[in-house]
Amino acid sequence: MSQLPPQINNWFTDRNWKLREHQSDVLKAYNTGHSTLLVAPTGSGKTLAGFLPTLVELANAPHKGLHTLYISPLKALAVDVARNLLDPISEMALDIKVETRTGDTPASKRQRQRYDPPQILLTTPEQLALLISHPDAARLFGSLRRIVLDELHALVSSKRGELLSLGLARLAILAPDMNICALSATIGQPDLLLEWIARPLYPKPAKLISMQGGSAAVLSILASKNRVPWAGHSASYASQDLYQIIKDHRTSLLFVNTRSQAENLFKELWDINEENLAIALHHGSLDVAQRRRIESAMVQGKLKAIVCTSTLDLGIDWGDVDLVMQIGAPKGSSRMLQRIGRSNHRLDTPSKAILVPSNRFEVLECEAALRAVEEGVQDSEPPMDGSMDVLAQHVLGMACAGEFDAVELHNEIIKAWPYKDLSWQQFERVVDFVSSGGYALRAYERYAKLRLTAEKKWRIANQKIAQQYRLNSGTIIEEPMVQVRLVKGGGEVSSAVGKTGAKTQKIPRGGRALGKMEEYFFNQLLPGDTFLFGGEILAFHSMGESEAYVVRSFSQNPKVPAYMGGKFPLSTYLAQRVRALLADHKNWHKLPDQVSKWLELQREFSQLPGRDNLLVETFPRADKSYLVCYPFEGRLAHQSLGMLLTRRLERMGARPLGFVASEYALAIWGLGDLSEMINSKRISLDELFSSEMLGDDLEEWLAESSLMRRTFRNCAMISGLIERRHPGKEKTGRQITMSSDLIYDVLYTHEPDHILIEATRREVARGLLDIKRLGQCLKRVKNRIVHKSLSRISPLAVPVMLEIGKEPIFGEGRESAMAEAADELIREASAS
Amino acid sequence: MVLANTNRTHSFSDKTCPVDFNDHQFIALHSGALFWPGENTLLVADLHLEKMSSFARTGQLLPPYDTGATLALLRDDIKTSGAVRVICLGDSFHRDEGVLSLLDADLELLKELVSAVEWIWLKGNHDPSPHDIGGKCVDQIAIDDLALVHEPSVAGHNQIAGHLHPGARIRINGRTSKGPCFIYDKRLMILPAYGKSTGNLSILSNAYDGLFDKKTMNVIMIGKEKLYPVATKFLF
Repeated sequence: MSQLPPQINNWFTDRNWKLREHQSDVLKAYNTGHSTLLVAPTGSGKTLAGFLPTLVELANAPHKGLHTLYISPLKALAVDVARNLLDPISEMALDIKVETRTGDTPASKRQRQRYDPPQILLTTPEQLALLISHPDAARLFGSLRRIVLDELHALVSSKRGELLSLGLARLAILAPDMNICALSATIGQPDLLLEWIARPLYPKPAKLISMQGGSAAVLSILASKNRVPWAGHSASYASQDLYQIIKDHRTSLLFVNTRSQAENLFKELWDINEENLAIALHHGSLDVAQRRRIESAMVQGKLKAIVCTSTLDLGIDWGDVDLVMQIGAPKGSSRMLQRIGRSNHRLDTPSKAILVPSNRFEVLECEAALRAVEEGVQDSEPPMDGSMDVLAQHVLGMACAGEFDAVELHNEIIKAWPYKDLSWQQFERVVDFVSSGGYALRAYERYAKLRLTAEKKWRIANQKIAQQYRLNSGTIIEEPMVQVRLVKGGGEVSSAVGKTGAKTQKIPRGGRALGKMEEYFFNQLLPGDTFLFGGEILAFHSMGESEAYVVRSFSQNPKVPAYMGGKFPLSTYLAQRVRALLADHKNWHKLPDQVSKWLELQREFSQLPGRDNLLVETFPRADKSYLVCYPFEGRLAHQSLGMLLTRRLERMGARPLGFVASEYALAIWGLGDLSEMINSKRISLDELFSSEMLGDDLEEWLAESSLMRRTFRNCAMISGLIERRHPGKEKTGRQITMSSDLIYDVLYTHEPDHILIEATRREVARGLLDIKRLGQCLKRVKNRIVHKSLSRISPLAVPVMLEIGKEPIFGEGRESAMAEAADELIREASAS
Repeated sequence: MVLANTNRTHSFSDKTCPVDFNDHQFIALHSGALFWPGENTLLVADLHLEKMSSFARTGQLLPPYDTGATLALLRDDIKTSGAVRVICLGDSFHRDEGVLSLLDADLELLKELVSAVEWIWLKGNHDPSPHDIGGKCVDQIAIDDLALVHEPSVAGHNQIAGHLHPGARIRINGRTSKGPCFIYDKRLMILPAYGKSTGNLSILSNAYDGLFDKKTMNVIMIGKEKLYPVATKFLF
C-alpha cells in the first residue's frame, strides 16, 4: 500500500480494504508509462481500478485543467459512475472536480466546460467527437493525462466504436502525454482489443491485465414439469415455475431477447400474480421517465423482479440482485456471462443464474451455453473495420476544428485501429464526398463544403457548416419512431373507420405518452387492431403528425402479435456446440427426457445433422413440396440463404412459393416435386448450395431489397448527406425516411458505385444479412450435403414448420396485394 | 395497347390503363403521365425539377441526377405517345430559381423537348413566376370542356389537377402494398407526381377532404411494372 498517498491509503485501511492485485497492477503500469487493458469480471472494483491512478496523481500534486477523460457507452453509466466516484473523493477529502457531459447537459454548462474544465470529465463518444471539432480543442486537451474507456467491448463492435477510435487518434496528437486505460468485462480476443487501444499511441507500450473471475457462477437450466413447446419464443409453459422462483429469491432479473418477449412475459406473470409481487418491466421503447422510475425503485430494493431486455446489459449498479434468469436462447456465451454478472455484484459469492429455454431447440442451445459458460468461453464480437460514413463525419468535424493537410490527416486516421488499412485513394474519395458530394457529375463545386486554400489545405467554406455539423454528428440513428399516446377512446374503435376513406374525427389530445414505437409497425395497422405495449393491451386509434393515438382495449388477447426489436444471432461458437451436441448421441442423456426422445425419433426416421455436414430433408405435405435444411447459423444468415435459394430454385424450375427461417433451420416450399427433382439429379444440391450464389444472385436481390433503403438512410445521415436537424427546424423522422428512399433510388440508378452506396452495401452484407457467416457456412458444407427424401415431415423439421404463420414469410411478390385488389375490382365489375 | 378510336401512332407497351373521364378517353401511363389521344396531348403534373439540387444551399449535397432522369422519362413518353402537345400542371420546378440552376446537359435536353412540341407550363405554388425557358407559361387552361389546373378545388367541375401527389395504401389478408396513384371520380381527376424526386401523400389524408366522392372514386395504383386499378374497399 506504500504506493498510495496517505489520504487514499487511510480510506482503504479505515474500511479494512486492501488494494486488489489488478488495481495495483493498473497503478504500476501507469507509473511506468503503460497504457492498459484491464479485463476483469463485473463486481471486481474495475471502475475504481480505472480511476485509481488519477486519484493518486491528483492527491500527490495539483493539476490545472482537464486531467482524465472517462468515456462510457451509456449516458446513464457516466452519471452512475460520477455518483460512485464522488463519494470516495469526498471521503478522501481530495480536491478534485468531477463533472459529466452528455447530450442532456445544459448548453451553458457544456460551453463553460470547454474553457473551465473539471479535472475529471465523464462523457460519451459522441461528446468527444463534438469537443474535438472545436478550434479550441488543443487548449482543452493539452493538459490531458489519462483516458479511461469503460465497457470497451460494448463499443468496439459498433459505429460508435469507430467514432471513438477516430477521436482517440486525434487526442493522441492533441495530448501527446496521455495514455489509455480501457476496462472490459468479457471478450473473446483481448489481444485484438489491446492493439485497438495501443495503436494510436504507438510506440508507447501497452499492457494487458486480466483478472480471473472470482467465484464460479452457479448456472442451471430450468427443469419444468410441463412440456417444452416445439417452437415459438414464449416461455408461458413455465410461467408458474418462474413465478415460484421469483418468490423464492430476494430480487430477480429476467432477461429476454426482444421487446415483444418482454411484453408477453410481463403480462403472463401479472396474470398469475396473486400475491401482487412488485414485478416491473424495462425496455428501450418505454418512456424515459417510466424507465427512470423503475431503475430507482430497483436501486432502493423495492422491486421483486424486473423483466428486461438488453437495455440492462451493461454495468449499471443494480444493488441487491440475487438471481438472473435468461428466458429464451442465450445466443452467445459472452452475452450470457455478462448477464450473469448482473447478479450478486460481489466477487466473493457466486452469481446465480437459471436458463429457461422457450422451445426444444433452445434446450439444446441452453445446454451448449451452460457448458460454454462453465468453461468461461468467450465468443464476443471482434472489433469492426471502419465504415466510410463515420469517417466522412469525422473528416468534416476535423475541418471544423481547423484547416487540415490531407496527407497529415490520413496519417492520423490510419492510427485508429478500424481504419488501419484505409488507402490514400479511398481517403481522397471520402474528402471529395464531404467537400462536394463525391458525384461523378460535378454539380456542386460552388456549394462545396470544404475548399482548398492557397497553401493546399482543406478548410470549411463557412461557419454555418460547423454549426450544422455540431447539430448532426453522432452515429446513433433511430428507426423513425412515433410517440404512442393513450387517449380516451369512448369505447372500442370501429375498424371501419379507415376503410371508407378519409374520416376526419377530432383527435382527443393531451393523453399520457406511453413510449415510442417504430413507425412502420403502425403502417400495418387498421384502426381497432390490438397489440401489447407497456404491459397493456391497446387498440390503435389513428395516426397524428408524429404520434400514434391508442386507446385501452378490453380484449383478452392482442390481435397483432409482435413488433420486432433487437434480435441477436446465435453466436458461431454456440452453433458449433449445438451441432456437436446433436451429432453425439452419447451425450443426450444429459438432456430432458422429452428432448432426447425427440432426437431419438429423428434418428430413426431420418438422421441428425452432423458436426460439419448439412442435412437437407425433402418431403411432401398438403400438395406442396418442402425442403428443410439445418445450417444452425442464425436467422439472419438463414433469411439470406432463403432469399438466394428461392431465386435459384425458381431458375431450376422448382416453382418455389415461399420460405421461413428460424435460428436453426430454413424451410422452403414450392409446387415442383423437390424430392423427385433431387433424386433424378435434375437439381444438384451441391450446385444449389454453391457459394456462387453470393455473387450475381446476391447483387440482384439487394437491388430490390428494402434493406438497402433502410440502411442507406443511416449511412446518409451519419455521413452528413442528409441532415437530421437543421438550425431552427427539427426534421421529423417521417419526412427523412420518405426523402431518403427517393435519394437512394436516384443515386442507385445513376451512380451505383458511389461511395455511399458502397458503404450501404457493405453494411447490409455485414449486419443485416450476415453474408460473411453464410459464406463460411457454404464453404464448410461444400460437398458435404446429405439429402434425405422423406415420406412426411421429420421430427426435427416440426419446429421450423411451426414458425410458418408466426414469422414473416418471404417470397411473395411485394405487389401481390395490389394485384389482388385489382382482381377484386374486376370481379365486382363483372358481377354487377 | 392499340386504341381503336384513333388513327395516330402510339407504341405503348401494356403498362398502360384506359381512363374514361367526363366522356373523354385517356390513357394512364406507368410513368404517371396521362395521355389524351383525342387532343394528342400529354399531361404531366409536379415534375419538381431541380429539387435535389435545391438542398445544396442548406449544405445537403443530394445526388444531382433527378432532373435528368425526369426529363429523360418525359422524352420517352413524348416519343412513345406521339404527343404533339405537352401540358405540365404546375410545380414543374421545385422553386422558381430552379430554371437557372439546370446543369448544361439537362438544360439542353429541356430546350430540345420544348422546341419539338407545343409546350404549356401551368404555374404552381412552387414555381409561381413565368420564365422564358421555352413554351408558354399560363395560370390555367381549358381544353374542350375540361379545366386543367394545378390545385384541385372542392367547388370546381371537370378538373384535371396535380399538386397533391396522390398515393394509396391497400391491405388484403394482412399483406400491404403502397405506391403513387391516379385518382378520379365524375368531377375531378388528380395525377400522380411525375418527378423522380417526389414522394406521395395518401389519398385518405385530410388534404383530400371533400374532393372525391368515396363511393364512385376510381384509383389506379402504379406498381413496379404495371398499373393496377384497385378496389377502393381495400384502401387504408
